[in-house]
Amino acid sequence: MKNTPFHAHIKQALANPVLQTALDANAERRVQARKTAFASLEEPLGVLRQRAQRVRAETIAHLDRYLEQFITNAQTNGIIVHRAANAEEAVQVVLDIAQKLSPKEKKCVQPCSSTDSILIAKSKTMVSEEIELNAALEAAGIPAVETDLGEYIVQLRGEKPSHIITPAVHLRRDEIGETFHEKLGIPLTTDIPTLTNAARATLRQTFLDADIGLSGVNFGVAESGALCIVTNEGNGRMVTTLPPVHIALMGMERLVPTFDNLALMLSLLPRSATGQKISVYTQIIHAPRGANESDGPAERHLILLDNGRASLRGTPLNDALLCIRCGACLNACPIFREIGGHAYVGVNSEHTPYPGPIGSVISPGLFGVANFGHLAQASTLCGACQEACPVNIDLPGMLLKVRSGDGEQGAVKTSGVGLPWSVRLGLKVFAWAAVSPGRFGLAQKLAAIIGGILSPRAEQMRLPTFTGWGYSKDMARPARMPFRKRFDSTSQRTSETASQRVNKAVIPSVANSLMSRSVDPLSQQFERELTALSGNFIPCTADTLAEAILILLHDRGIDEIMAWEAQHLPEGLLDSLRGAGICIGQADQPHIQAGLSGALGAAANTGTLALASGPGRPQGVSLLPQIHIAILQTSTIKKNLQELLRLPEIRKATSTALISGPSRTADIEMTLTIGVHGPGELHVLAIQ
Amino acid sequence: MMPKKIQLFITCLIDTLRPETGEAVVNVLRRAGVSITFPQGQTCCGQPAFNAGMRAEAREMARHTIATFETDPAPVVVPSGSCTAMLRHGYPELFANDPQWLPRAQALAARTFEFTEFLVDELGIVDVGAYFPHKITYHASCHLLRGLGVDRQPRALLAQVCGAKLVELPAVEECCGFGGVFSVEHPEISAEMLKRKIKNIESTEALTIVVCDTGCLLHINGGLHRSGLPQRVVHIAEVLSSVES
Repeated sequence: MKNTPFHAHIKQALANPVLQTALDANAERRVQARKTAFASLEEPLGVLRQRAQRVRAETIAHLDRYLEQFITNAQTNGIIVHRAANAEEAVQVVLDIAQKLSPKEKKCVQPCSSTDSILIAKSKTMVSEEIELNAALEAAGIPAVETDLGEYIVQLRGEKPSHIITPAVHLRRDEIGETFHEKLGIPLTTDIPTLTNAARATLRQTFLDADIGLSGVNFGVAESGALCIVTNEGNGRMVTTLPPVHIALMGMERLVPTFDNLALMLSLLPRSATGQKISVYTQIIHAPRGANESDGPAERHLILLDNGRASLRGTPLNDALLCIRCGACLNACPIFREIGGHAYVGVNSEHTPYPGPIGSVISPGLFGVANFGHLAQASTLCGACQEACPVNIDLPGMLLKVRSGDGEQGAVKTSGVGLPWSVRLGLKVFAWAAVSPGRFGLAQKLAAIIGGILSPRAEQMRLPTFTGWGYSKDMARPARMPFRKRFDSTSQRTSETASQRVNKAVIPSVANSLMSRSVDPLSQQFERELTALSGNFIPCTADTLAEAILILLHDRGIDEIMAWEAQHLPEGLLDSLRGAGICIGQADQPHIQAGLSGALGAAANTGTLALASGPGRPQGVSLLPQIHIAILQTSTIKKNLQELLRLPEIRKATSTALISGPSRTADIEMTLTIGVHGPGELHVLAIQ
Repeated sequence: MMPKKIQLFITCLIDTLRPETGEAVVNVLRRAGVSITFPQGQTCCGQPAFNAGMRAEAREMARHTIATFETDPAPVVVPSGSCTAMLRHGYPELFANDPQWLPRAQALAARTFEFTEFLVDELGIVDVGAYFPHKITYHASCHLLRGLGVDRQPRALLAQVCGAKLVELPAVEECCGFGGVFSVEHPEISAEMLKRKIKNIESTEALTIVVCDTGCLLHINGGLHRSGLPQRVVHIAEVLSSVES
């Protein structure tokens, strides 16, 4: 059989039973979760997809203009913007920033090996994989710790992510248990909450000790210069809030023009990626720490990476730039389901961070058709990828373009990219025969003769394995008399009249379930959504608020909390709590178990709270403690994310956290675990 | 209804490997009152070359097919989802930059119909008087389902087959792993996909699997035969052509 590195990796993947079980589980659960999540959209999915496609296509068509607007706004907001033409330049920017810093005092012993060097805490970024940043940092002697649970697991194992959303999708809990036992010294276990807690405990100190937090960016918003970062575990908020320096890595194409566009993308991205209506944390970052703010990094850098993106614009592969990196096409792809992300390698076994259908377009597009073009042949063109794509990228069409050599930059195109010469020659001969009915008829006769020799009796014949087909299936024997010779002799039956009935598509009328019209429908919807996300909704009044908080704290034996300053909370609340024996500590004390904050507003249809940072409103309160208690005036609840994002305060705040439930992960076997890096409990006290 | 005239594009796979399927197609169309012509110049639509990325060769075959069918204004009926998709979407793409051939490709694309689509949407027929007293299951071929959006039509036709008991195939929309050149270039992956399809087929306990694309038919049948399993895949025309004797 074929012996390219790609084929070797495929065989290895198919022969790995653990991987096969993991991939089957991923495909089945993710696809179902996505479909369920789409059922909750406010508008038909088809309409939203087309709108999202238009927004992205328009952005890419006028990318220079939007980039200029985005960069100008970000710079005005105080973000230091770097443009990197390629991977080397991007890596160098990170190294330059790191090497200028003097390391802060550290408490950790593990996993940072040395206490006198710069420590980088990373949240998930595929651009970092693309520029191979970890290897470069290691070579420069700068420890960098991945803090997304899945990324952390693959980093501990010395592997690379096998999926752009769920990096450890190729592993089962047994293997992760062994890794943690070996690397973290915890007792051998396969209990997923125990494994998650072990990572949480180790990484908490990393967040506190890190000199630099490094993150990716899901979307840049051109109209305000905002960076939008979406995570579930809370590590994204940690690395962009706690270390004194934040570096954001962003592909230069990941822009949306407006906040309304962002709301649209956010209605599609988490649903497509993980089957959630919204991710737990959606952060909107505008600026470094402001004057009089008590937390947030003093310095924020943004690295905008080109690395082949600009030159892809206007080419036949242009639409690959529409991708919002949700990973839905990977989950839907039957080929990815068989071989997993690690199998998608170049002609020299080189790794690509982007596997699956979109990867088979992006990898040749960005890193060269010569090295990665053959990946496009790993598709049956079944179209499941396009069907899953939230921005409706014609992935089968793009794969066909890669195959036809359209992805190549030069004037001379290869055709049949990635196919061996024998297959290409066979197709050329077939085409030569097919343009002449005479030759085609002769070819049919020849096929019938060969078929008769290979299989004189049975209607199915066995082809040799080297043909590919013969590997696992038999072939129908060519007919002695093809249809074209039979047509005239087919009996001329036309007299029978088929009973006819016009087929009308029955559109079931969906009965609108009548919502109960009692007091406040938005508040009720918010409660339903929050509860579904494992959040706790506690209705109260201004008079009963303090008592409700005290009950929560007493039940948990907590007598010390961190809180926003008094002027940002209902009048007299902190005094009442102090009077009842609760100590209000400083926001940066990691041992405190509960944090008390207000909220700017909420979105009813996703159960989302908005917390804008500012003086007296530290972000750590809603992030560091195990329990987050938020006070929400029900009058500030908006219908949806789009309305919430229109609040002017969000554009003015240095950073806004959109919080939807307690932190969570499903990085191990897609098993939901509540409470990772961010709070494990979220209580919303809703003042009517 | 006035008798309708069509041109039959039987496809190279049915022509060469499954002529009986072609006869069934003719039976059903004639029973529905359709008069059929069969242009003898027809060969292959060019899909194998197009899907392999060999566009020059695909263009040659497309030109040949367009020239073969464009002299007669009658609609072209094709008993294959993927070949119909090739004529409807592939041809206009192949000639996107060819002002001479693009209008000819578009004109042909506009009057090309997949077999079940033609019966149900163009003729308004769902009951063709078929009798098939067996448990059957239906596999939704990818290019038919996602490429053409045809799914309701074959299901409506099967629902009217007297005696047939249709059992829903689990993961009905999942690819069987054929993919043309893919099955030759990546036989190992193709084999795994086929294995899963066959497992789902077995779970229905139906012995007859109905498809609207000969590529999937040959592929799944080849796998069933190699595994020594009794189930067989048939083209929908074969079920629709079957009558009570």
